[in-house]
Amino acid sequence: MDNQWLQAALWIGLALVATLLSLRIAISIAILEILMGVIGGNFLPLQRTEWVNFLAGFGSILLTFLAGAEVDPDVMKRKFKESMAIGALSFFGPFLGVMAYAYYVAEWPLAQAQIAGIALSTTSVAVIYSVMIESRQNETELGKIIIAATFITDLGTVLALGILFANYNWYMALFIAVVAVSLFVLPKFTPWFFAKAGNRISEPESKFIYLILFGLGGLALLAKSEAVLPAYLVGMVLAPFFLANKTLSHRMRVTAFTMLTPFFFLKAGSLIKLSTLWESAVVIGIFLLIKIATKFIGIWPTMEVFKFTRRENMYTTLLMSTGLTFGTISALFGYTNGIINQEQYTMLVTAVILSAIVPTVIAQRWFQPELKEVGKDV
Amino acid sequence: MFKKILVAYDGSKGAKAALKTAVDIANHYDAELHSISVEEKIPRYAATIGEVEEFRREADRYFWAVTNDAKEMARQQGVNLHSHIRAGHEVETIVNFAKEGDFDLIVIGFQGHSEVFERMWGSTSRYITRLAPCTVVVVK
Repeated sequence: MDNQWLQAALWIGLALVATLLSLRIAISIAILEILMGVIGGNFLPLQRTEWVNFLAGFGSILLTFLAGAEVDPDVMKRKFKESMAIGALSFFGPFLGVMAYAYYVAEWPLAQAQIAGIALSTTSVAVIYSVMIESRQNETELGKIIIAATFITDLGTVLALGILFANYNWYMALFIAVVAVSLFVLPKFTPWFFAKAGNRISEPESKFIYLILFGLGGLALLAKSEAVLPAYLVGMVLAPFFLANKTLSHRMRVTAFTMLTPFFFLKAGSLIKLSTLWESAVVIGIFLLIKIATKFIGIWPTMEVFKFTRRENMYTTLLMSTGLTFGTISALFGYTNGIINQEQYTMLVTAVILSAIVPTVIAQRWFQPELKEVGKDV
Repeated sequence: MFKKILVAYDGSKGAKAALKTAVDIANHYDAELHSISVEEKIPRYAATIGEVEEFRREADRYFWAVTNDAKEMARQQGVNLHSHIRAGHEVETIVNFAKEGDFDLIVIGFQGHSEVFERMWGSTSRYITRLAPCTVVVVK
């Protein structure tokens, strides 16, 4: 189907179905868009055209920026020791474990094994957050530590993605220098610029953020690094400003969720080959098990050191085993850059999606810690 | 007979009927009246915190509006309504709230705002009646 408007109608139609289903069954739009993408890619004439690839790429950059902008610096500072220890081990355990399995047992080449390690090293802060809101754990000390640790794990993931496959030449030096200056200047310049530009329908604030993300993303590409790395870092340094400016966050989310992230998640789903899914079910299961097991090896002893109860340890470790957005971004990065093939991509993304669901269900069903009453009284 | 009454309130037709009955009972027994509104359907397995936050913002806005109406309605009948908003599964949240707050009566509407789903999956009111730690009045 060469008609670009009919193609656009098909893509946005699938996004609309995912949205309506999400409202009905309370499953995230992202998961449902991936499932719609699977249907579109396997049964419908859904094409990954150049403009689709651009929108999907923009979606992944904006998604990463928004994730970085959700980091609460106060919680990070207050619980730095615990969150750093748990977050770092939560990244390194599965990264090394999955990579070792892929390299030594599944006999994937090193670069492919590294993509597998990165994709399954992640922890989904959003999956955890929605669980905690429902169970009211987000207000507890444990809840805050888990969420802060998750940001550290995600930072590990984007750093690995941006560093492992990069070229170390003058472009890299330029990229590092510009990112360093930007991270230093932006927290001061952005509030000043937004105050000057004002709150207008033409969205100078959003355009400014896109300019920064595209510019740094472009430099990242020159250095063969990954555009999501500067996006996450810029999000992190601007987080205090965005947390205080809810309207701006809301407007950027509307743009992202309406026109950009649907293309990213639909594309991610459309690349899943159903035939590979059945043939590789065992490997997918092993990847999932290794992810969870290595999270346990890293996090459980650390939690013991910080004297949490056995039930809290179990709950934390299971929640830290979840993954979704960054895992999908990493696998898609590997596929787009020709590092992994579509079969490997299918295995990794399926394991990532399962990791969003399986540990969450187990944690909620059997290991929810006791808590004191919190909530809103009107 | 009843000292502490909890009414499940989501602003639907059924919930309004339940509130009216609960206010009557509270007046009759001179009981303390509380309402609980549950933000259910928080998106599970979300991609960003933003997705969850935006859902909650919309739900909050809705429940603040309907609970304020409920408070006003109760006030006109001479009853002070204490309203609470919680996130979670509707049945589990209402039952746990009733247990934790030592309520001796729960008043619920026969059908809330998700009528189609209730018909398909079973009634919220039926599950609350079965699991509640106290007497339950279902208003039709």
